[in-house]
Amino acid sequence: MLALRDLAISAAGRAITTGTSLDIARGETIAIVGESGSGKSLTAKAIARLLPPGVSATGRVTYDGTDLLALPEREMQQIRGSRLSLMLQDPFTMLNPLMKSGLHIAEMLRDRPEFRDRAALKAEVARRLTEVGITDPDVAERMPFQLSGGMSQRISLAAALARDPELLIADEPSTALDVTTQAEIIKLLKRVQQSRGMSLVLITHNLRLAFSACDRIYVLYAGSLLEVGTARAVEADPFHPYTLGLLLSEPPADKRVPKLIAIRGKVPGADEVAGRCVFSDRCDWAKEICRVAAPALAELAPGRLTACIRRSEIAAEMQALRGSALAPSDPPQPPDRGIQPIVRTANLVKTFAGRHGRAVEALKGVSIEVRPGESVGLVGESGSGKTTLGRSLVGLETPTNGRIEIGGYDASDFSAMTAVDRAATRRTIQMVFQDPYSTLNPRHSVRRSLSEAIGTIGRFPGSEIDSRIAELLREVGLPEHYAERRPSSLSGGERQRVAIARALSVNPKILVCDEPVSALDVSVQAQILNLFKRLQSELGLSYLFITHDLAVVRQIAERIYVLYLGEIVEHGSAEEVIGRPQHPYTKRLIDSIPH
Amino acid sequence: MSLHVDIARPKGVTPRTAIPAAIVIAFIIVAIVVICAFFGGSIAPDSPFTQRLQVGDVPPSAEFLAGTDLLGRDVLSRVIHGAWTALVGPVVVAAGAFAIATVLGLLSGYLGGAVDSAIMRWVDFMLALPGPLVAIVVVGVVGGGYWTAVTVLIILFTAPDTRIVRSAVLEQRPRPYIDAARALGVSKARILFIHILPNVLPIILAYVVLDFAFALVNLAGLSFLGLGVEPGTPDWGRMLFENRTILFTNPVALLLPAAMVILTAVSMNLIGDWLFARFTRQ
Repeated sequence: MLALRDLAISAAGRAITTGTSLDIARGETIAIVGESGSGKSLTAKAIARLLPPGVSATGRVTYDGTDLLALPEREMQQIRGSRLSLMLQDPFTMLNPLMKSGLHIAEMLRDRPEFRDRAALKAEVARRLTEVGITDPDVAERMPFQLSGGMSQRISLAAALARDPELLIADEPSTALDVTTQAEIIKLLKRVQQSRGMSLVLITHNLRLAFSACDRIYVLYAGSLLEVGTARAVEADPFHPYTLGLLLSEPPADKRVPKLIAIRGKVPGADEVAGRCVFSDRCDWAKEICRVAAPALAELAPGRLTACIRRSEIAAEMQALRGSALAPSDPPQPPDRGIQPIVRTANLVKTFAGRHGRAVEALKGVSIEVRPGESVGLVGESGSGKTTLGRSLVGLETPTNGRIEIGGYDASDFSAMTAVDRAATRRTIQMVFQDPYSTLNPRHSVRRSLSEAIGTIGRFPGSEIDSRIAELLREVGLPEHYAERRPSSLSGGERQRVAIARALSVNPKILVCDEPVSALDVSVQAQILNLFKRLQSELGLSYLFITHDLAVVRQIAERIYVLYLGEIVEHGSAEEVIGRPQHPYTKRLIDSIPH
Repeated sequence: MSLHVDIARPKGVTPRTAIPAAIVIAFIIVAIVVICAFFGGSIAPDSPFTQRLQVGDVPPSAEFLAGTDLLGRDVLSRVIHGAWTALVGPVVVAAGAFAIATVLGLLSGYLGGAVDSAIMRWVDFMLALPGPLVAIVVVGVVGGGYWTAVTVLIILFTAPDTRIVRSAVLEQRPRPYIDAARALGVSKARILFIHILPNVLPIILAYVVLDFAFALVNLAGLSFLGLGVEPGTPDWGRMLFENRTILFTNPVALLLPAAMVILTAVSMNLIGDWLFARFTRQ
């Protein structure tokens, strides 16, 4: 039905993707899997001829025999929405903020004669809403800012489906959503696809999701297709080292492994790796032959393509690596119960004054503790209060009620502490933030940021500061010369490492990590998680690891608290909570992990 | 509440944009004005003050490239020398307003609460005043001409600039790098001046350039009304007043200073807009 041949996208003379070829039949679900910079989103836009200005595509995109790239715009407009529909990434900005939700659907149906009548149109909109799981017709009257992420996504889906297209391209449909909502949206997509007999192209960075939801997979990296095959076959035995690396980078939720297999280095742009195998810089099996020219996709088995020219040689090694990487490690030693906790909260309450007098109770009496050397996970979705809790522990929020004890000091209200106590507390607990792109001052070099942090614990001569900076950078796995760099020249993973170095510069005993890897590429996530583990064993650090991702927390934490709407609903060791969940919310969280 | 999360930003393709031709021209015009302001004495063919009452106003000729005005003074020399008051006053206004607005905006944006309310209510009040009218009244009452006008304009311009600084500060304040500095115990003053200020400076500078253009037009207007420079000073606004009667004998005497005011103001506006677009393109 849809066939891409040598679709190459470029902008300002620089290649973004090299020739991509793809096929999809009626009723099929395929996944285009890739990390940032792979070109997957732009490929989707190129199919729908919605590339941003300055970006162009060459090649052929054949839809039922018609070459879409050659069509005049007016004819393309007929096809968009009614035969081929594109659902974009971010549910919060996909909808027109000035238009009611129902109108987004209605405007697609207005020109149909059967819906001339207002009442008929309204009824149809309501019917469409139920199709996407919204049973309350009043939702159509709401404005986008009044909708949750999941509902916005459903409205966008309904609008995309309004003209009954035969093919839907969904670009990261669930990424910006909570884990439980993600699972619901994917289930919804599959249900809608089945009932309509639609074809679905799912664009995602989550390999597990692709395996569970799709028939066939296309793996895209730095603008080139590296592997193609059925989901089952690729999952059982990936043919390309990158696919294997991606698979192993995703932390398993069912067991704790001693070290995640991370792909070293960072994701390049397509033009940086032209003329050779795009993955060769990061590949452990790369040889000279891989760097001579970009290998073409070869069909090694029916329907199974791979761009790795060394496949036959390294197949056995790849299998061995996979086996060893997933061998579980021994459960971590629980720390001696007699030791005083470093951090303890008792019945912590935080209420925010909301709009129109409606107060928001972010925390409703939360009691947790973290002991020296221990790694504790705090799991919850958005709105659970986990970020508020983390911020309260480092003094960025002041709780309305309850007690916080850090390192023996009463830290319930940072502004009420004496300056000496406050400084001591700040040397005990520090925080690592979520977004690597704004966690560092963009105008300060790495050296400046780290010197300032070091300066908060005392005045040191310049030479000592320099050596301490070098030491910190080494500790987080960055070369010393990175000290002169500004954040804009660092990748997300590198910025996060600098942020960790900054937190470590005061020699804290415990780090509060608020979703530190969520905004990173999967292959980089594993690197940072390994770093956290190494730091813990080398420096005896404790962690309060805040995340929504159970698989991530499984690898880091010994004990887990599950937070839901401001209350702890479950607590226990990592094995207990994930293996034998008691509370229905925990069970829902675990069921949401794609498998 | 957790942030909406982007999957790691794609490797953006931000091509290095060339400077548009219009902006290049704008820079050239401003450069000419600056040169005239500082080296007017060397460039001008004649003294701007020498009167030739017998000659009176004549149209352009080989001797007087822009003709003479009512008192026989060389128009071209007066225009060249006029670049000085066209530059100095507006620069002082822009710099003064910028300095005060930056401090007020930083405090207002970061500290919030009562400080913010107080400053913003003052801004609201100032914005409600009709600027040029206030300037006219004050200069008329207090006297003092040019520098009184400059002072009044500084006070008037501070208000909208404060709002702009404040909103730029509000944009930076919730960012994690500020949180990190707070968590480390960095002092408020340091956070304001070492962390926030460098990040809001580019946007403020773009607005400062626009302030210059506004101030130029306002000061020229005040001079036209006789409330700015001393009569006799070579100043574009003043020349508009002096030479309006000789529109038909030597139109250049009126049109040239008018054109200079317009060209300079428009150039600064274009440059300011371009700077602003560049700095916010992040």
